[in-house]
Amino acid sequence: MAAPETPQPDTLRHAFGNVLSFFVLLLIGVLAFSIRLFSVIKYESVIHEFDPYFNYRVTQYLTKSGVYDFWNWFDDRTWYPLGRVIGGTVYPGLTLTAGTLWRILNFLNIPLSVETVCVFTAPIFSAFASWATYLLTKEVKGAGAGLTAAALLAMVPSYISRSVAGSYDNEAVAIFALIFTFYLYIKTLNTGSLFYATLNAIAYFYMVCSWGGYTFIINLIPMHVLLCIVTGRYSSRLYIAYAPLVVLGTLLASLVPVVGFNAVMTSEHFASFLVFIIIHVVALVYYIKGILTPQMFKVAVTLVVSVGLIVCGAVLAVLIALVASSPTKGWSGRSLSLLDPTYASKYIPIIASVSEHQPPTWPSYFMDINVLAFLVPAGIIACFLPLSDASSFAVLYIVTSVYFSGVMVRLMLVLAPAACIMSGIALSEAFDVFTRSIKFQLFGATKDPQVNAGDTNVTQNEVVKPEKSEDSLKERSSRKSKKKEKENVETVPLVSRIEKKLLVLPLEASLIAIFLLVLLGAFYVVHCVWAAAEAYSAPSIVLTSRSHDGLHVFDDFREAYAWLRHNTDVDDKVASWWDYGYQTTAMANRTVIVDNNTWNNTHIATVGTAMSSPEKAAWEIFNSLDVKYVLVVFGGLVGYPSDDINKFLWMVRIGGGVFPHIKEPDYLRDGQYRIDSQATPTMLNCLMYKLSYYRFVETDGRGFDRVRHTEIGKKYFKLTHFEEVFTTHHWMVRIYKLKSPRNRVRGKTKKSKSKSTSTSISRRSGARKKNPWH
Amino acid sequence: MAISPTPTAAALLLTSFLFLLAPYATPISSDPIVSELSALQSQAPTGVIHLTDSLLRRILSLPSPRPFYSLIFFDAHQLHSKPELSLPTLKSEFSLVSSSFQFNNPNERSQLFFFDIEFQESQASFALFGVNSLPHIRLIPPTASDMKRDSIQMDASDFSRLADSMAEFIESRTGLSVGPINRPPIVSRKQIMFLLAIVLIWTPFFVKKLIAGNTILHEKHVWMAGAVIVYFFSVSGTMFNIIRKMPIFMVDRQDPSKLVFFYQGSGMQLGAEGFAVGFLYTIVGLLLAFVTHVLVRVRNRTVQRLFMIFAMFVSFWAVKKVVFLDNWKTGYGIHGYWPSSWQ
Repeated sequence: MAAPETPQPDTLRHAFGNVLSFFVLLLIGVLAFSIRLFSVIKYESVIHEFDPYFNYRVTQYLTKSGVYDFWNWFDDRTWYPLGRVIGGTVYPGLTLTAGTLWRILNFLNIPLSVETVCVFTAPIFSAFASWATYLLTKEVKGAGAGLTAAALLAMVPSYISRSVAGSYDNEAVAIFALIFTFYLYIKTLNTGSLFYATLNAIAYFYMVCSWGGYTFIINLIPMHVLLCIVTGRYSSRLYIAYAPLVVLGTLLASLVPVVGFNAVMTSEHFASFLVFIIIHVVALVYYIKGILTPQMFKVAVTLVVSVGLIVCGAVLAVLIALVASSPTKGWSGRSLSLLDPTYASKYIPIIASVSEHQPPTWPSYFMDINVLAFLVPAGIIACFLPLSDASSFAVLYIVTSVYFSGVMVRLMLVLAPAACIMSGIALSEAFDVFTRSIKFQLFGATKDPQVNAGDTNVTQNEVVKPEKSEDSLKERSSRKSKKKEKENVETVPLVSRIEKKLLVLPLEASLIAIFLLVLLGAFYVVHCVWAAAEAYSAPSIVLTSRSHDGLHVFDDFREAYAWLRHNTDVDDKVASWWDYGYQTTAMANRTVIVDNNTWNNTHIATVGTAMSSPEKAAWEIFNSLDVKYVLVVFGGLVGYPSDDINKFLWMVRIGGGVFPHIKEPDYLRDGQYRIDSQATPTMLNCLMYKLSYYRFVETDGRGFDRVRHTEIGKKYFKLTHFEEVFTTHHWMVRIYKLKSPRNRVRGKTKKSKSKSTSTSISRRSGARKKNPWH
Repeated sequence: MAISPTPTAAALLLTSFLFLLAPYATPISSDPIVSELSALQSQAPTGVIHLTDSLLRRILSLPSPRPFYSLIFFDAHQLHSKPELSLPTLKSEFSLVSSSFQFNNPNERSQLFFFDIEFQESQASFALFGVNSLPHIRLIPPTASDMKRDSIQMDASDFSRLADSMAEFIESRTGLSVGPINRPPIVSRKQIMFLLAIVLIWTPFFVKKLIAGNTILHEKHVWMAGAVIVYFFSVSGTMFNIIRKMPIFMVDRQDPSKLVFFYQGSGMQLGAEGFAVGFLYTIVGLLLAFVTHVLVRVRNRTVQRLFMIFAMFVSFWAVKKVVFLDNWKTGYGIHGYWPSSWQ
């Protein structure tokens, strides 16, 4: 430790390093924010896809009505006539975050709209996430590795895919919360401070508020604690890091309505309680070991171990009995499919059918973490040399997340931070070695190590990082040495520091190696920018296509929703397949029957049945649900493949699952789904076919569908129970109105009918002075 | 509204009474065969009766509303070796349904019989049902007279989830409830006891060693190797291969003498392909770690130089290969965004 001998240059260098790190971090934040703006530049500042629209709508409600009303919000605009309790069924973290952000900005007299705040929440939190990564990696391997990891995380494609501007979804803030919780855990573990332990529980609370993925934390940290105990790394710092987290964290987690008693009742949380017991037993053993003589301890150890085992056994038996009483052993289907990868494909077709839940192939890794996949093994090995509590946590994190990502492609998002940390460590260590080799040989500075610590004028920019990292590691460990618990880690840096001055590689080879590493990094940057710009920025509410005669923009969805908003009554009900439910409520502000929160299968099946039924039966179903407008998405004219005709078989399947008179084979000709002249009569007469292809033949004279690449089967037909009211510019959204029931001249039915449903209809049609039933 | 015994009502009553009687009346004529089948059923360990041409003929010779349903599993020993048909699995699942049904419904045992029939010895029966591809499971309702037309074939979707979906099929077509499937546990009770005893005896020794701090768990190189191995298997997409049951390689469709190791299209991969790329992913990191942590300690400059050249060459080649393979497989054209004045 050269610090006392040459204090002046050392403090200067520290100050210089800190200022440099600060500016580097600032630039990393700017990078993380700006790389996510491609969607705004290429398209516009708009909320993306489906779920973000719901979050946006909830945020709007929050900013308008306040927190308490939001907490008790019963939404009657969706799942008509059931409605939905929003406050108790959403993770409120994202909404509250964006709402608070908006409030602060308004307080500062910056008049941004709620939508703008929502659009930019994800990029802002990406910057936060990269800073959190810096902090976490700094705790594990020093500041150099931290800066590298933060820079890598700022542009890792996997994270970009969920956090471009406009993708206003839970994951946007949850990844920051995840990394920050891990940082605070490691910080507590390194310092043994109760202050950080409390902050850790609060960060965990924020994570629980934000995303269902919090179960990853509450299983990973106990695993790490258990690992530390088993490998003989128990310390009082470990106890302080873990016990408050479980107690406070569980109490706080159960405050979130959507989690509630799940925090103590489901198996996902049991691991933490079990480890909580074990750590107490171990703590007791260590305490007794401290106050007894070795002979007495030997007697005591048998006693304590046997008592501890009995207690553990009893608790275990209770837990097993509790768990075994539920059919899925208390685990949710998704968690089970993580533990046993073949589970979902066997038993839960709904989970298995979702594309996010598929296992990834190797190109997915290259697409989502790119060259980090090459660097991670080096990072893993670096974490073992030397092994500390913090680095063992990092290893555990990468191993579990890489396994989970192998089961479900969606969890690539959890892998990405771990891969960045590992690659940051690997790159930083490699640069450390190579630049040291160059420095000592090129500048002939192989003097004795003591003098070398002071020659600041020789250090170049890239040397500053590794040198600094080493110093901060040393400094931290010396702080810890007061507690006299850190024998293993404390000695290693000292030894390696003296040795390192002699450990160099050949000069020219090091130069080439640095060049290759920089090349690798450059390739990573190119890939990430490409992925952000081309692959992950499409908002899917506005579509573009590039053809030989320039750029085409398809803005049909918003056209249709705007039409609904301006031309229908505010209480009218709109039926569509559930995919468009969130968008309809958010953009058109009309009541929908089903939406993307697919909590009621029967309701969805009712809509599916109506879409699969002939016109009259469908009209009756829709009429019984007070539906006035039916919205279908049709891509046949412009070749938009994810339209309702392509989703139609799912409607049939889901409908048939509840209403058995809908049979899938009736819609298939020899097991093939087709809409041409070979299609079955059931198919050609169902509502979905008719609403999609009504008047389609008038466009090109022969009715050629550009998605299915075929001429449609039934070209000329009239609608009896529905009337077309609006079709968008590219025919992508078509809106139909249910015709009012035919007037009955005789009988009593007329009066009773007109009382219930037709009042508003007759008023509207009277206003238009146009009765379709002449 | 008073109940008056009109002739029509009396006739109705009589017919319904006759209908009620009918099921009880028929077993008398088919009694010997039912009792024979029951005897065969109780002899078989899982209750699946082995069907032969002659036995089938006798069953079918019964008058048309037979008193029982028959579920026949068409088997061929020579095809058991073909993994894509998975006949052995289906057969064991079939017998599992059979034993569960008989265990759960002891009173309805003679209403549904489970049969298996072997292609080699009963080709006539296969022809009778018009079965020319396997796996094939067929249900004969009591009223069936023409075997090809009246019997019901179990769809592939009905045995996709093995025993559970077979049971659902039976319930929907016959109205007989199979009840919960009793799967035999993977390890028997005795084995569990034995294992438990070993664990109990071993635990104190282990705890003692654990406190002393010298188990295999304290060896950090074991953990290091384990972590790298998990990483290797995950990035190779092994889970994909397991869940989708992908083969290691395929035979080329156009040219059967050639083998296909790499599949074009990002939604799918073959086993060998995954492991090859997983190896490339891992080797670069391992070489880098070796250079930064081990090679620096080597004193000999020539060894250092030679190994570094080797490592850099291999790494460069590996990265280049993966980039090439990725572009080939997914068809993405990754490009940079250079200022337009540079072009």
